[in-house]
Amino acid sequence: MPKTLTSVLLLAFSVLLSACNASNVKFSIVSGSENTVLEPIVQEFCSKQDASCTFAYEGSLDIGLGLQKPGGVDQDAVWPASSVWVDLFDSGRKVRNLTSIAQMPVILGVRKSKAAELGWVSKQVFMKDIHAAVKAGKLKFLMTSATQSNSGASAYLAMLSSALGGKEVIEPGDLDKPDVREAVGALLQGVERSSGSSGWLADLYIDSASQGTVYDAMWNYEATLKETNDKLKQMSKEPLYAVYPADGVAVGDSPLGFIDHGRGADIEKFFTDLLAYLQSDAVRKRIADTGRRLPLGGPAIQATAEPDWNFDPGRLVTSIRMPEPAVIRNALDLYQQALRKPSLTALCFDFSGSMEDQGEKQLQAAAQFLFTPEKASEVLVQWTPSDHIFVLPFDSAVRDNFEASGDPAGQSRLLAAVAEQHAGGGTDMYACAEQALQKITATADLSKYLPAIVIMTDGRTDGGAEMFLNQWRNAPVRVPVFGITFGDADKSQLDSLAKATSARVFDGSGDLAGAFRAARGYN
Amino acid sequence: MAISRRAFGLGLLGAAAAGTGGYLTLKDRPEFRGYLGNRAHLFGFIGGEKQAFLADPDVVRALGGYGLQLDARVAGSVEMVRESALLSQKPQFLWPSSSIMVDLARKSGVAIRNDQVVLNSPIVVYTWGPVVESLKKNGLVSVAAKGGYNQLDLKALLDAVLAGKTWSALGVDELYGRARIVSTDPNRSNSGFMFAGLVLSLMSGDVATQELLAQHGDQAKALFRSMGLKSSSSGKLFDQYIAGGLGAEPMAVGYENQLVEWALADPARWQRVQAGTGAKPEMLYPRPTVYSAHPLIVIDPAVDTVLGALTSPQLQELAWSKHGFRGPLGTVAAGSGTIAGVRPAEIEAVLPMPSADVMLALLAQMEG
Repeated sequence: MPKTLTSVLLLAFSVLLSACNASNVKFSIVSGSENTVLEPIVQEFCSKQDASCTFAYEGSLDIGLGLQKPGGVDQDAVWPASSVWVDLFDSGRKVRNLTSIAQMPVILGVRKSKAAELGWVSKQVFMKDIHAAVKAGKLKFLMTSATQSNSGASAYLAMLSSALGGKEVIEPGDLDKPDVREAVGALLQGVERSSGSSGWLADLYIDSASQGTVYDAMWNYEATLKETNDKLKQMSKEPLYAVYPADGVAVGDSPLGFIDHGRGADIEKFFTDLLAYLQSDAVRKRIADTGRRLPLGGPAIQATAEPDWNFDPGRLVTSIRMPEPAVIRNALDLYQQALRKPSLTALCFDFSGSMEDQGEKQLQAAAQFLFTPEKASEVLVQWTPSDHIFVLPFDSAVRDNFEASGDPAGQSRLLAAVAEQHAGGGTDMYACAEQALQKITATADLSKYLPAIVIMTDGRTDGGAEMFLNQWRNAPVRVPVFGITFGDADKSQLDSLAKATSARVFDGSGDLAGAFRAARGYN
Repeated sequence: MAISRRAFGLGLLGAAAAGTGGYLTLKDRPEFRGYLGNRAHLFGFIGGEKQAFLADPDVVRALGGYGLQLDARVAGSVEMVRESALLSQKPQFLWPSSSIMVDLARKSGVAIRNDQVVLNSPIVVYTWGPVVESLKKNGLVSVAAKGGYNQLDLKALLDAVLAGKTWSALGVDELYGRARIVSTDPNRSNSGFMFAGLVLSLMSGDVATQELLAQHGDQAKALFRSMGLKSSSSGKLFDQYIAGGLGAEPMAVGYENQLVEWALADPARWQRVQAGTGAKPEMLYPRPTVYSAHPLIVIDPAVDTVLGALTSPQLQELAWSKHGFRGPLGTVAAGSGTIAGVRPAEIEAVLPMPSADVMLALLAQMEG
């Protein structure tokens, strides 16, 4: 009997124990795309802990906007490129234990032969030198959208700071000064391609280089430039020369913070363990090897300098002082409404028979969102009068075409034109793409604009890409073709078109505003 | 072996009895209370500078001994006693970093059950080796005759910043642009709040009053405007200082305990930094400075025990020896070692803060 009792007690005890061990932690992180290279380091930790970790990549400003919503973000942790966006948007203090993992100055990488041509090799370069090169038509660059991605916002704020001529910080009235607007507007004329994500921008540079298209330069993180150059060197392509503007740069502090969704002590413990792991010496060394600067890392830990492209994570960079939150907000509005390079966008609306019912409803909702300034400005994607928009409804052929500038009257005309369309007929999205491209290339002063074609469709199309791509290759400008999918979409044809033209496809059936915000970030 | 139903039933009963007996015995032993699941979970806001102290496993264990588990969220000292977004979350306690915050909490309608200063720490200026060396040459920094610590002529530095002098004009050739010093947001966080009081008193030439505020408030406002985006919490600013280094944060205002705590948290790291060739973090004691007291504001009766626990010799010793906080009267626990060059036993020239009314008027002026 006592023996039986003991076994029963043991059994009960072991059942209890196994119940304790059974809970495998599920942990999710929403992160800036620059951390893609660090994900494997995090995943190693997760598998050691028997945890399943997921990463969602978003622009740092989108992470901030997410925190601002009453429900906050869904993930257990945020990892934006800079704590500025948490400071700015997390008014409810949802983020805890926000800890900097690395420091990442945002600098200008210039193709080495271009840098030599500009006389920038082994010289101190100031923002005014970059300004002069852009103005003289000698330099164009890739830069992410300042209203979506931290690296673009950082480059933009550094431009504003410099335009103020050594003032310690940007203050409210400064943004109204005509000379400041003129200087920054002129600098932003240098933007050749934009995107919502720093990682994607770097991929664009590399993919284009592999296909023989070389861009002059790119604003990005020092560490992302190292990553890019490592790949360019493997391809035996010219590296990007690191230009650290001497009058100050913005430095992202790449902070990781916890959000408590009340999922239990296990989750928070997992987070603090992850933080400790990322701060352990061995892991710090691996993070430093990616070109990131580490707090008080010193030469023992930082990546080796690479003088051939002027990379030196030990070099002291003076960072600009970030302005007050209200000034940052105003500066971002100013960027979207006045200073950014105007966009030249051709929108192809698929009104073919397969879009009937659900697809058509979604398409009309999309037009409502796009052409209602109050709605679009909520997420900082509003049009401005300097933008130019073409609308091309299509089925098996392009039905009609409309065009307007981005002023409110023009937008409401376009909205009315779309409202009259109804689904019916066959589908040929390539026919629409061809006409859209013709419209774009026929525009006067083409170099003043950032051009793009956006196709909104369920993806089921007849016709072939070849004729369009021929036309595309012979066009005087590179026009990316983005896709936004609706209904029960088949993405494969859109995907290959986007890939061939260095663009992306976004899903519009779930979060429509999100898809447009993403697509517009590239335009 | 087959288990009969009777044996199984008896077994469960036996397990239950053993469990209950154990529970009854252990419940009266404070150090085991937490393991039995009846720890009091208490929620409140704390200044960021105390985050590491409360997260310290030794501190968590010691508090656990009292049956306490704190869900302490970081918020600025000023905002935690004033912001409805935070107060509406019904905190059971607030642990800001200055006695004036108790008055402010009362003015915001917080039902204060009790309050007591638990820890103390003077306001200091964090900077880097090359800056100290350069400022010593022009007399802005000198070595205290008693105690051998570095003291900063804060008034002279503030005058230079307000005059728009560049770093190179101050002899700091490593840095580009104008000289700057940054604190936290005085409307949200205590170290910035106290620094604002100190700045106003220095500009006034005496502990500031309403009359002196009318004359010198604009200078204080100009100084804080030149800082741009200010962190909402002292802990965050210190982290930014350490993470950003000389280029990003050449001079930041904080509490004395922060660097001490950072050094103590990882002595090997501290050794490595001291032995390395990079710029080293340095602490300057402004002359004069102000003392920051850390009062625990009790709102919920369940927090009464926390006050007793935090002022117990065990937790006071942990606060000093591992986190660098001085005791309720600014004293140093006997027998505790110091870190070379920092943490003098006594600090000369401490100024009282202006009154709560003057400080509120200053905040209002700076917000406007």
